[in-house]
Amino acid sequence: MKNLLNLLLIVAFFGACDIVEEPFATNGGTPVDTSSPTTFIKKILVEDYSGHTCSNCPNAARELDALIDIYGEKIVPITIHVGKTYARPFHISQAPKYQYDFRTETGKSWDNLFQITNLGLPKGMINRIGVPNSTHGAEVTNWNSIVQSVASDEPDFGITISSYINGNAGSVDVNIKVLNDIQGDFNLVLCLTEDSIINWQKDVEAFPNVDVEFYIHKHVFRTSINSAWGEALQASSIYNPDEEIDKSYIINLDNLEQYNIDYSLNTLELGNGNAGGWNKNNMYVVAFIYDNTTFEIEQVEEAHLITP
Amino acid sequence: MRKIIAFLFVLPFFGLAQNNSGEIHGDFDLSLQTYNEDESIGALAADEVILNNAYFNLLYTKGKFTVGVRYESYLNALKDFDPRYNGNGIPYRFAQYNNDGLEITAGSFYEQFGSGLILRSYEEKTLGIDNAMDGIRLRYSPISGVYLKTFIGRERKFFEYSKGIVRGADGEVNINDILKLTTKTKAILGGSVVSRFQNATNPNFNIPENVSAFAGRMNIISGGLNWYSEYACKINDPIGSLTENNYANGSAITSNLTYSQKGIGISLEAHRVDNMVFRADRDAVGKDLLLNYIPSISKQHAYTLVSLYPYATQPNGEAGFQIDLFYKLEKGNWIGGKYGTKLDVNFSRINALNGGPSYLSDDINHEPMLVSLKGEALYYQDFNVEITRKINRKVKIVVVLAKQSYNKDVVQQQTGYGIIESDIAVLDLTYKIKKGHSIRVELQELKTEQDDGDWSMGLAEYTISPHWFFAIQDLYNWGNKNPDKQLHYFNADVGYIKGANRFTIGYGKKREGIFCVGGVCKTVPSSNGLTLSISSSF
Amino acid sequence: MRKQILTFLVVLLTTTFSFSQNARELPNIEVKTLKGDAFNISELNNDGSPIVISFWATWCKPCKKELNNISEVYEDWQEGTGVKLVAISIDDTRSMSKVAPYINSSDWEYEVYLDPNKDLCRLLGVSTVPHTFLLNGKKEIVWQHRGYVEGDEDELYNKIVELVK
Repeated sequence: MKNLLNLLLIVAFFGACDIVEEPFATNGGTPVDTSSPTTFIKKILVEDYSGHTCSNCPNAARELDALIDIYGEKIVPITIHVGKTYARPFHISQAPKYQYDFRTETGKSWDNLFQITNLGLPKGMINRIGVPNSTHGAEVTNWNSIVQSVASDEPDFGITISSYINGNAGSVDVNIKVLNDIQGDFNLVLCLTEDSIINWQKDVEAFPNVDVEFYIHKHVFRTSINSAWGEALQASSIYNPDEEIDKSYIINLDNLEQYNIDYSLNTLELGNGNAGGWNKNNMYVVAFIYDNTTFEIEQVEEAHLITP
Repeated sequence: MRKIIAFLFVLPFFGLAQNNSGEIHGDFDLSLQTYNEDESIGALAADEVILNNAYFNLLYTKGKFTVGVRYESYLNALKDFDPRYNGNGIPYRFAQYNNDGLEITAGSFYEQFGSGLILRSYEEKTLGIDNAMDGIRLRYSPISGVYLKTFIGRERKFFEYSKGIVRGADGEVNINDILKLTTKTKAILGGSVVSRFQNATNPNFNIPENVSAFAGRMNIISGGLNWYSEYACKINDPIGSLTENNYANGSAITSNLTYSQKGIGISLEAHRVDNMVFRADRDAVGKDLLLNYIPSISKQHAYTLVSLYPYATQPNGEAGFQIDLFYKLEKGNWIGGKYGTKLDVNFSRINALNGGPSYLSDDINHEPMLVSLKGEALYYQDFNVEITRKINRKVKIVVVLAKQSYNKDVVQQQTGYGIIESDIAVLDLTYKIKKGHSIRVELQELKTEQDDGDWSMGLAEYTISPHWFFAIQDLYNWGNKNPDKQLHYFNADVGYIKGANRFTIGYGKKREGIFCVGGVCKTVPSSNGLTLSISSSF
Repeated sequence: MRKQILTFLVVLLTTTFSFSQNARELPNIEVKTLKGDAFNISELNNDGSPIVISFWATWCKPCKKELNNISEVYEDWQEGTGVKLVAISIDDTRSMSKVAPYINSSDWEYEVYLDPNKDLCRLLGVSTVPHTFLLNGKKEIVWQHRGYVEGDEDELYNKIVELVK
């Protein structure tokens, strides 16, 4: 009898079960307080690796929107279209569906190193934490807990971006302020993203017809102004508080756009050159600093390319 | 933890002092492949030139004590394996002690409750599946006819472990044994419970941290009849998304009824699955960290073209059934022939659930109809007949005829392909040239109007008992509507087997496709190169 | 990681050199009978005559070929040597229920057991099927063979005959 009782207790222990009653949603959670004693807050780069024929990828985009709702300006999002399987444009016979080529050379370089497509899309990286072991490519439902784990970190760098565009050319200035005593080798990467591109996307939620004609592609990665891996912040690996570093770049949007078009025409990529039509008014400059040895991103900042 | 393992390894040496009756055994496997670029079939070269997988199993047993270790190496993994198999190390090690019917295992172990519907931790090396548990497991039979198992642990994921902690308990009772009955009919009942604990800090939803699944089964055997049924259910298991979560319960029921007597065997099987994916980590996707196993209710085919379109279980929702008839036509008359003829007939059909699966429904109380076969979206249908006949002392033939329908959109998660109807015929002829030398020829043909069109396959295998085999084969997609894609996939293999050692070398092209075992599939990219495989047991 | 590899190597080297290899016995583990009962494989018995254990599956062509070819000469083998063949199926839940109907329609006279989660396979180093073991009168494993090609049963029979000489 005693054995039976013990047995039942053990079964009860193993059968521990939380049954959640409606309503399942909490009160939406309170947005995280992003105010800070210093002028700079630690911002988090969330990279969403995607493709326009990846029907599960809009779920990742929606998850990213939800993260922005909670963490506000702490999140700097980019969506990078990669790979032949889910991002290459369809053949002309399939027009008008999926004729655009969102892919970029820099996106491919990042994917080659971080091996994200091989993990299966959608996948993301939060501040590129966890490289080079396999945990850096994060499952979508895991993004929230990773962001939480770095959300209260204090920043080591502060980035200010200013851009001056006249017609289709101009300059982008980046001012980096060192906030603490830091040692290491860091690089700065300067990117351009474009928001609200309307084009085709497969979306499993649009069941039963998964083709969405007027999908709003948000914060799509367009190009890196200073190459996929950027340039060193400075020669020395010793950084003193209040030290300031200034970097300035001349950019020509026509040239950058043409570069993407040429890249898309490269036969190995199975593209079609349909990578232009940029809308500079929807573009953002994203600057991030990363640790050269761990690839982890220390700070990121985002600003409109052309002030609205 | 490491110190304990090191100590366990040292333990056997103390036994050496007394009597050296311990035994060491193991097995080893190495697969190596070169990848050359081949534009015609879309094969990519590997930067490393050579890719290889290898593992080495070592087992030490002494009396009631067993210790095992497995070293795995992926430097780098073959292209048809998940690239997260990376590096080398010891992902599997255990110590086991058996004392008066109580078996204790510490470390890595595999386990199955019932038919696996609620829990199956297993390895399938060819698929790259290895979801061993790492923890403690106890197995105990207090009296004859009662079997109890419990465990607690984390599930393996490549060289790491799941975030969720899994615990389970299973009990099985052989009614005839405990009641000391000697009737012709036997009954065996069983029940299991498995639950997962995983932290949740979701600001938008109330995510349950403990998620449980329960299962009950029964097996009734009476003479030549055998009836097995199992029901499993899972209580609210949302994935933890910030935007949308499904709190619906999941359930699965499977049942099979078989009858066999001399010369004939009949098997009837059916299952219905709804939202029954159960993982050791709610964030995992794909084949990662699966806890349970729902086999596909279709026949596992051995011939290439009959398994060109293999079905994979849709654990989110499907209903299906299968009928098998095994019959031996008696020898002596013109139907049975001089030696008798074996006839295997198989039919299976799987379709979508009525009203759609629970996870897609906005109504949490939505319960798809229990059984509904007509009018639902067809996922897979397969009707096939296999005839085996020995013609004379030198010749044996096997003929397979199959008619299949395969819903490529659903099974491969694509759009625009629809249901692929195919008719397949296979002739497999073995001719004994002389003692120890024989040649086997296979001719296969697949006809379809969709997808890649018609295929032909030819294979010739020459074997010299007991050591050698030589084989060449060609797979030809002659019916492809695109003339550029009417490709040959040619392969040549040579193998040498001596006792428990096996060496094979092959060269040729592999078709891009899907390779399935038991209803779990992996995609295999096209490749062109040399394959080398060495395996051994000692 | 390095410590693990070191421990592994230490075990490998010392145990390989420290122990004299006694003949291998059957492990103490349970398999299932076709009637659902548990059966401890170490309790296999053939009264001092040799035993052949063959691992197979209903989806494995060479396995079925081996067991069919042997079934044609099984009676002769039994008369000549008293050997018993035990066929252990590694069919998992997908095809396990078809083992009994398949065997009955094939007229096999073997003792058949089921190892659906490969517990016994792991203890005997069986990674692919077919894999055949030969045990002597003392139930010790004295010979094993992977794979099957036409005519291999002759080599197996020669080994059995050597045991009963």
